[in-house]
Amino acid sequence: MVTSATGTDTGLIAHLLRRAGFGGTRAEIEHFAELGYEATVEHLLDPPSVESMPQDIIRRYHVDQSDLRIQPAAGSNWMYRMVTTNAPLLEKIALFWHRVFATGQTKLIQGKVIVTQIEMFRKLGLGSYRDLLLGLSRDPAMLMWLDNNDNHGNAINENYGREILELFSMGVGNYTEKDIYECSRAFTGWTIANMPYNVQKMRNNTARPYGYIAWQFKFDESDHDFGEKTFLGQTGNFNGDEIVDIIAKQPATARFIARHLYHYFVADELPVPQWPHLPPRDPDAIEQMAEAYFRSGYNIGEMLRTTFNSDFFKAQAVHNARIKSPVEVVVGSLRLSGGYDWPTMDVYDATASCGYMGQGLLNPPSVEGWHGAEEWVNTGAMMQRVNYASKVLGDLSRPGVRAIVDAVMPLTDDGDAGTMVDECLAHLGHLELDTETREAVVNFAREQMAELPGGGKAKRAEVEQVVIAVLQLSVATREFQLA
Amino acid sequence: MATQAKPTYKISYATTVGFTADFGGRGFHLPVDMAVRDDGHIFVLSRSSPVATPGMRIVETDLKHTFYGEFGSFGTGEGQFTRPSALAIGPNNHLFVADDSLNRITEFDAQNNYLRHWGTAGDKPGQISGPSGLAFNRDGDLLVVDHLNHRVQTFTMRGKYIAQFGAPGHRRSQFNLPWGIDVGPDGQVYVADWRNDRIQRFAPDGEFIDSHGGHGSADGKFNRPSDVAVGPDGFIYVADWMNQRVQVFDTNWKFQTKLRGQATLSPWATEYLDANQDEFRARKSFQPVIEVDATDPHEISARIESYFWDPVAVQVDKKGRLYVLETNRHRFQVYQSAST
Repeated sequence: MVTSATGTDTGLIAHLLRRAGFGGTRAEIEHFAELGYEATVEHLLDPPSVESMPQDIIRRYHVDQSDLRIQPAAGSNWMYRMVTTNAPLLEKIALFWHRVFATGQTKLIQGKVIVTQIEMFRKLGLGSYRDLLLGLSRDPAMLMWLDNNDNHGNAINENYGREILELFSMGVGNYTEKDIYECSRAFTGWTIANMPYNVQKMRNNTARPYGYIAWQFKFDESDHDFGEKTFLGQTGNFNGDEIVDIIAKQPATARFIARHLYHYFVADELPVPQWPHLPPRDPDAIEQMAEAYFRSGYNIGEMLRTTFNSDFFKAQAVHNARIKSPVEVVVGSLRLSGGYDWPTMDVYDATASCGYMGQGLLNPPSVEGWHGAEEWVNTGAMMQRVNYASKVLGDLSRPGVRAIVDAVMPLTDDGDAGTMVDECLAHLGHLELDTETREAVVNFAREQMAELPGGGKAKRAEVEQVVIAVLQLSVATREFQLA
Repeated sequence: MATQAKPTYKISYATTVGFTADFGGRGFHLPVDMAVRDDGHIFVLSRSSPVATPGMRIVETDLKHTFYGEFGSFGTGEGQFTRPSALAIGPNNHLFVADDSLNRITEFDAQNNYLRHWGTAGDKPGQISGPSGLAFNRDGDLLVVDHLNHRVQTFTMRGKYIAQFGAPGHRRSQFNLPWGIDVGPDGQVYVADWRNDRIQRFAPDGEFIDSHGGHGSADGKFNRPSDVAVGPDGFIYVADWMNQRVQVFDTNWKFQTKLRGQATLSPWATEYLDANQDEFRARKSFQPVIEVDATDPHEISARIESYFWDPVAVQVDKKGRLYVLETNRHRFQVYQSAST
């Protein structure tokens, strides 16, 4: 275990940065180790500034990232945020809610409305779950995604009323079919402005004549069922707001959201459809998080504060106990490699690569989102993950890779391959390899150095290529696929 | 003694030309610049998307909505571009196109045939990095906004370097990623100093005259002005890009008015709706202007179809007609100005 001057375990800081962000560079890990663990948690939860590549710069060079119509443009706009932000937890929590409240461009066609939804997640995602759920219920992308525009006072459509209970709050087994119906009645009239024309454009998949019109929430009183409803044992003339209030105070909601957070931030859980039938991996952790939920007035940030400062989060057993999502692989690689100080066409490749690995941004496979865990890995996806990380972190033209190689080069002089490999691993977000894996990488480095022409007098460029090869082999390991 | 009436300025909406055509054909896709020839022919440059490149081209049209055709395409070959950024028509009616990725200027003749291209990447005199604005001066030489070098360079039409002015910074004669450019009827040069939120004015020889603007949304302030045009009567039009409006000033920078956009359906758009009756019917209940629950002008424009959405370029023809090109709505709106 390596500790900083403040006694902070750098491995623990690296663990925190992998979970509350996309991993850290060596400089970031050392900086936060000096700051201390608890202070780092506070810094992540309440960043002193929030900066990323400015939108005016992005829009000028990538004009398709202004109207955000097509998925490559809209997804890439988010990719810029994730790669360049100095407040990574805001992006990580937005990505979390994108998985839970999955909304997809395949149906909605225009990416902009989902980007606006993501912005709402960024803004409300660490605050009150009640406010977030209300924001979601008024979100035009969600309303159209789950057909609430077809939920009329005299003709109920239960799609949103069902999913808000099944997937967005309590989970199966905690409500009845009657509750779904009553919930749906409460959301009648929750639609978007200019609904008929906007729906027709969406159905026809047409940007003609003048592009898409971004949607806006509208409460249509004339289409709302103002009658009495009985929902989860309470009776009243509920509108959607009151339904959200009732949902937010349910113990089942607290446990369901806690299990989602655990799955995403702590350790891989079972796929959501199995949750009604199988207990959580760590029931005590779920109870602690649920307790924080009620103690804080449904505050998600407080649940995460409790989590990050808990023993169950710091435990060695949950280090590298999650399989990185494709976005984590891509963004983590790019944050290490650098090269995003200015708009680059590389961003489209990064966004597409997430899709090739099975996580197309703004395009989840269904309303269930991505299950994650072992479902991230199959033969094709694994190849994509390894090849992408190896390509990016083997590219010496990227400033981050250049800096890593420059830092490692002095350690190649004495011929100690182990020292060189450890330095590489330290620069790869404090990558911890199994003993056997590390030994294989060290042997590889030793053999490569020995094969250099001129032995110890090899040219610098040739030695640099060995360092690059070590970096590429390191990110091709099983351990790099874990967070 | 009779008092002399103050000159008055008026401007009124005339028409909209355009249509979304992201795979080529009649219309535009994410256009970034336009040029108006003296015979009334209008050229619109679509930058399009790097992942939907069939939309990248130049379309020739006019105010009668005639579609004359298209030329140019994505690529690095002759007459192609990868990230086209600006247009200008030379005194010989040839069309010049800038590409801010390939760092070159391409020349087409008056029949839209490719003639040549020139340009060398770099930051030395005569080299260019990200050409983003083009205009011809009274001598028939081409002014190139060399935006990543934060300067303006003058070349002959064949690309021979003549002169330059400007440097990085925020003081007078300095630029921060400048974008559009125009030459007034008296030969003065106007540059949209994009990230300094101002317009700078120079004498024909590049000597600084004055500047106007500052960051903000009040009248006379700008938020990333992308282009400037000067009418035959000296009135100045600024594409106030991130404020999603066009501001008009007299030659002394006195604010005259601002435009937010009031597009109507072009004949191309009308024909489309006629041919797609399901959309035509659905549009009958369409409220073009709604009360928007957002304050960001970009977001407001996204929700109101008739407003400017990324008004990127402005042009004024010899009859005083103002053309406002909108990237995200794939069209340009035309206004008739008059000063008495």
